[in-house]
Amino acid sequence: MRSMTIQIGREKYEAPETVARVLRLAGGVNRFGEANYRAVWGWNRLAWIGGKFEERDPATGALLREVVELRREPKYPQVNRWHIERWLPPEAYGSPRAWYAETVERANGESVAALGPYPSRGDYEHCFTLEGPRGEFVQLTATIAERIARAIEWSRCQPRAARRESIGERERREERAYERWAYGALDGGAPAFGGEEFVSVR
Amino acid sequence: MPAQTNANVVALQLEKVRDKVPLLYERDDILLTMIQQRGDVEKISNRAMRLPLQVNPGGKAGSYNADGGDLGRGSGTQYDVATVSPIFFRFAIEITKLVEYATAGRARAVENAAKREVVNGMKQFRAFLDKLMQTGGNGVLGTVGSFATTTWTMSTPPGAALVYVGQTIQVYDSTLTTNRGTANVVAADPISATQTITVDANPAGLTAGDVIVHDGLSGASPVSLFGLKYHQNNATTGTWLNLNRASYPVQLATPRVNAGNAALTPSAVRLAINKVRKALGINHVSKLIAYMAVEQEHAWENLGITVSQIIKEGGGGGGNDLDLLFSGRKTMSGVPIKSSVNADQTRVDFLDLSHWGRAVLKDIDFYEVNGNTVFPIYGASGGLAASYIFYFDLAMQVFSDSPRSGAYIDSLARPTGY
Repeated sequence: MRSMTIQIGREKYEAPETVARVLRLAGGVNRFGEANYRAVWGWNRLAWIGGKFEERDPATGALLREVVELRREPKYPQVNRWHIERWLPPEAYGSPRAWYAETVERANGESVAALGPYPSRGDYEHCFTLEGPRGEFVQLTATIAERIARAIEWSRCQPRAARRESIGERERREERAYERWAYGALDGGAPAFGGEEFVSVR
Repeated sequence: MPAQTNANVVALQLEKVRDKVPLLYERDDILLTMIQQRGDVEKISNRAMRLPLQVNPGGKAGSYNADGGDLGRGSGTQYDVATVSPIFFRFAIEITKLVEYATAGRARAVENAAKREVVNGMKQFRAFLDKLMQTGGNGVLGTVGSFATTTWTMSTPPGAALVYVGQTIQVYDSTLTTNRGTANVVAADPISATQTITVDANPAGLTAGDVIVHDGLSGASPVSLFGLKYHQNNATTGTWLNLNRASYPVQLATPRVNAGNAALTPSAVRLAINKVRKALGINHVSKLIAYMAVEQEHAWENLGITVSQIIKEGGGGGGNDLDLLFSGRKTMSGVPIKSSVNADQTRVDFLDLSHWGRAVLKDIDFYEVNGNTVFPIYGASGGLAASYIFYFDLAMQVFSDSPRSGAYIDSLARPTGY
């Protein structure tokens, strides 16, 4: 009798060569000759996660077992989306000694590097998830990738004070928007002409 | 029939907007109101609400000898019950007689004055409650680091971020045992690095290290709204919703990353997110939000790996073209950012708000006595004072049914300029 098996695979895609090329042009290359920016598909982007994992029954949430190990798992929650990443140099992660001091976890008498080995060649970090305003899928194109890379590069050149002021202005604008909305809501709740009675004039 | 008074007119205007008060309060733009009112628990009586929690799994797993071996005994799931009791909050608003004189008693003008006070009052009440949401459940709004006459330099966090000008505060000693008295805030500077507040008069015995709490609390170890630092806490002593943390040191502890006064880094963020993933499952972080002060949002921008707010503001670089893609929220390693001016300046909280709720005994509304919502003020002589007062009030408490469903990074450095 032939055995029937169902294999559940992860949807994996590589970024098109054209996208990689425009990102390289827009963001330049790092000290290792690799592009500063790259586009990755969520399922393809794996990262080290170490420590004590709790495996739970999906139906009840009951704890089934605990395992201490180092795994490679999708780095970002949105596995079915394209992500733009930027390379950060190894010094952005501190010294190897500091890295292990900060990331080693002890569980059941074992020591595990919670983020895996020290990134001696640097690593790519998340910049942007391609999705629409309501979280809908957006296909990766060279134009979109280039726009994002250029926007981030432009942002990096802005003075810190300007970035700070911009965030502050957003907060003030949101406060003003609340006031406008609240006055509008109350206008809607009050009768026209302040509740004054009026009559039709023939 | 008695002559109409201004109080009657103001009351009439308040009645007109009465059904809009919850609308103004419930707007989904601050942390408190982002916490959904969960249908099964939204209304409670004055008795404590019970939250049954599965604290330990049941069953004994293992191998056995099928050749007559002993299979051993079993065990069952262990439950415990957390309890939540509502706290009553009020916000008092006074309108002076001058309103009537300044507007010549015209109904429309009085309506506008009443409306303005409702909007201003609600805005301030929401801000007050949101500030409480940042605290550890004891109503502490700040710590007096030092003082010179009536100007107090507040320790950061939270600095002077959780008070507002005109607020009445109380001063307790650092152990929350001795209430030294009250003071009124006449100036507050939560922006500059010094983080000072100025009060009208120091309570007797004021000491550096004293803490300030909001008005209305009394006695030793007061209890207020259970905020972020109450639920997102890795302490193994004390109580959490009347459960002893020492009894469940793992189950009730929220995963923590101590930044050690260093600046925010991508690895600290990944450590925190991964702690949630390890506890709840690799794919169970899609509901998380990264809640932080604008300082830490700025620190994240300073890393140069995100599209800055300047782009969103329509700055250079052709950023406007990104609007179709830019959902309005920046992300932190893929987790949406929600920032607030009230949040702890040295902390980032990863929250799964689906585990949070509010136990509400009384929805927000005008405080009412026999159908009256506006009350006269009496002068020191016993005669009437030339003003009227009305109140918003509500009774509620905030709970989380799974402290391990979040994580936090604390002791972060504040970026330069704050």
